[in-house]
Amino acid sequence: MDLTLTPAEAAFRTEIRQFLDSELTADVRRASRLNTSFLAEPEIGLAWQSKVNQRGWVAPSWPEEFGGPGWSLAQRYIFDQECEMADEPHFRGASIKMIAPVLMRYGTPEQQDHYLPRILSGEHFWSQGYSEPGSGSDLASLKCKAVREGDEYVINGSKIWSTLAHRSTHMFALVRTNSEGRKQQGITFILIDLSLPGIEIAPITSICGTHEFNQVFFDNVRVPVAERIGEEGQGWEIAKYLLEFERGGSFAGGLLRAMHCRLLRIASRPATDGTRPIDDPLIAARFAEIATDIDANDMLELSSMSKVQSGGNPGPVPSSTMKIERSRIRQSITELTVTVLGPAALEWEPQRPLYDLPETSEAEEDIRAAAAIYFNTRSQSIFGGTNEIQLEIIARALFS
Amino acid sequence: MDLTYTEDQQMLRDTVRRLLAERHDFPTRQAAVTSGDGRAPGLWATFAEQGWLALPFSEENGGFGSDEVDLSILMEEMGRALVVEPYFGAVVLAGGLVERLGNPAQRAALLEPLIEGRHLLAFADVAEAGAEVSATKSEGGFTLSGRKQLVLGGAAADVFLVSASMPGGGMGIFAVPRGTEGLKASAYMLADGSRAARLELDGLSVAQSDLLGANEDAMTTIDAVRDRAVACLCSDAVGAMEAALDATVAYTSERQQFGRPLSEFQALRHRMAEMAVKCQEARASALLATVSINAEPSARIRGVSGAKAKIGRNARSVAQEAIQLHGAMGFTEEMATGAWFKRLFVFEQLMGTTAQHLARYGAEITRPEVLSQSLLQAPAEG
Ligand SMILES: Cc1cc2nc3c(=O)[nH]c(=O)nc-3n(C[C@H](O)[C@H](O)[C@H](O)COP(=O)(O)OP(=O)(O)OC[C@H]3O[C@@H](n4cnc5c(N)ncnc54)[C@H](O)[C@@H]3O)c2cc1C
Repeated sequence: MDLTLTPAEAAFRTEIRQFLDSELTADVRRASRLNTSFLAEPEIGLAWQSKVNQRGWVAPSWPEEFGGPGWSLAQRYIFDQECEMADEPHFRGASIKMIAPVLMRYGTPEQQDHYLPRILSGEHFWSQGYSEPGSGSDLASLKCKAVREGDEYVINGSKIWSTLAHRSTHMFALVRTNSEGRKQQGITFILIDLSLPGIEIAPITSICGTHEFNQVFFDNVRVPVAERIGEEGQGWEIAKYLLEFERGGSFAGGLLRAMHCRLLRIASRPATDGTRPIDDPLIAARFAEIATDIDANDMLELSSMSKVQSGGNPGPVPSSTMKIERSRIRQSITELTVTVLGPAALEWEPQRPLYDLPETSEAEEDIRAAAAIYFNTRSQSIFGGTNEIQLEIIARALFS
Repeated sequence: MDLTYTEDQQMLRDTVRRLLAERHDFPTRQAAVTSGDGRAPGLWATFAEQGWLALPFSEENGGFGSDEVDLSILMEEMGRALVVEPYFGAVVLAGGLVERLGNPAQRAALLEPLIEGRHLLAFADVAEAGAEVSATKSEGGFTLSGRKQLVLGGAAADVFLVSASMPGGGMGIFAVPRGTEGLKASAYMLADGSRAARLELDGLSVAQSDLLGANEDAMTTIDAVRDRAVACLCSDAVGAMEAALDATVAYTSERQQFGRPLSEFQALRHRMAEMAVKCQEARASALLATVSINAEPSARIRGVSGAKAKIGRNARSVAQEAIQLHGAMGFTEEMATGAWFKRLFVFEQLMGTTAQHLARYGAEITRPEVLSQSLLQAPAEG
């Protein structure tokens, strides 16, 4: 066991760096830094996606047969780290990281042939339709109904918290096709074209001031049965498979490190009296503690991913651990950032996206975005299954 | 020693709470926050009618001569109801400064219209790195130049009380009306929806009579007024913390998942019990701050800065827990949970951060004679 890069891997890293240096323009990097949400604004993310797609690098974790680059785990890790350190827009969301692995595992060849290339090109942009007003942590209690009529399902009900649904072309959703028996049994996984008649999308504004999620209403929406994934009633199994990807099936270490580097930049700027926040022993200690958290999480990611090379499934306990730790680390970083900035972080800029505002110095822009980013990261321990639910999964494994 | 509320004080609390619940429910408040000037129409007039604007001032200055505990009660309810009217900036901070520092003519000119709700004051504070104003002597008075970054309640203020370093050393405070030539005031919103202003003073002329008080160094008075204001902020924070806890208890009692209310899960009950522990501690700390306001400086710093540091830590935890236990609902702007969270975030940064107050408290408390001293004070001699 060791952590050394081979010469080939080091050369690969150079190649990635060169690509990012030349392609990731200053205004795109700026948009990433000023992003107050988890994912990039679609226009930024999709434009960048198409550039990366030209190199064939959009979906590092996909197997080659579906359009992935066929990289080793080390290469994928290097790629992620480099992209994050260069302030790549965070665009690999529901499309590439969630629905794609499901299509690969459970989709028919027709579904794979139709959807996967369109996901790569960005022509299709997906949102996730799991939660409902009455079903959050208790996802299996969902009620949104799909009744089969001939070759179609007729869908009625609503989904909530659907991130970027207002900018998406499609939604993958869990719907109830049967109300008898165990509640997990009557759930079916379905793909919905969001341009179909009967769909209404209502915006919800979050505490960080952005419209990122929505409530989506379905009124007699007719979806062909061919858009079902797997069998009728197999939805719960598929949903759980997807959630493990959402929670832990990729690297976050690069992003956390990039955020921590940015915090160090902010904390190293001298105040008017010449003192630097990072020289304050209390801040230095907190800063170092977070770095140890990142290192440990990074190692956990590497070692659990090693076990499931190429497109596998990381398993529930490591996934849940990574989900919990990633959320805590992000929250600690953004919290320490606003602590370091102090009263300077108090001014609130309601305009979104922030990158539409006239450009100012990097220091001023860090300050402008800091509070909203801190508020936004509170959601990290809620979405994708709350930290309490992750602990429950771990506890169940401990006591089984 | 007596640490219970009098009947009058309980009545005051009930009245304020009821009135704010009626006149300033969350949707009304949200509408105000997003409106142009960030004010709730008519609310300030109600404050004046109720005598709340007069509450902290002595009878001699047209006030009620209420004590610090009354003010803390009022502040706590403002935090609970998420009031963003400039009460803190105009009445507590700026008004408090005029009352303690102004000569009789200045007190009459500035406090009477404040108490009647006819004009607003704002204090352009001293303790801001990189935002200083200096006064130079000029014919018949002074010239002021410099800037101020964070003037609480400055968006709507009619008169700014600008702190400036004086030519002979020391700190002076000048009353500068909005619209004075050479003064530029720009309003902005803080993260909790309240409004502040930044000031630019460019060779602005003031008369000797615009200087509050005589030619003495105002720093000692400013410190005392700021400490009193910090104690008030602590009470405001306690109100917001308890409201966030109450809302979380109510929400989890209603919200059903896995076939029962969330409040039946022990893991969550204990989390809320921990929140209650933190609220109790915060309430006790705020009370200590309140009753320390008029103590000699060492006891005052101990009471006030200790409370700001302690409550800052607890407030952050309670606010974050409230969001978490509300799930995604807590993350939306339509719930008050987020508003309490943001108010408590702002609390931590205002009038000295949690860390700054901890350091100030630490410097005091590491003197053995202070550390060993009981909270109960010996009676004043004579
Ligand atoms: C920013 C954001 C984006 C999101 N994006 C999407 C999306 O794109 N698609 C989608 O389908 N959903 C999305 N969600 C929804 C997310 O998955 C849910 O918020 C989450 O599953 C929790 O459900 P809830 O909000 O209803 O909270 P609730 O289930 O009501 O839970 C409230 C609190 O109680 C706790 N709790 C619940 N049950 C238990 C228990 N048994 N034991 C202990 N504690 C418990 C929870 O952990 C939480 O703290 C998003 C949420 C957020 C905040």
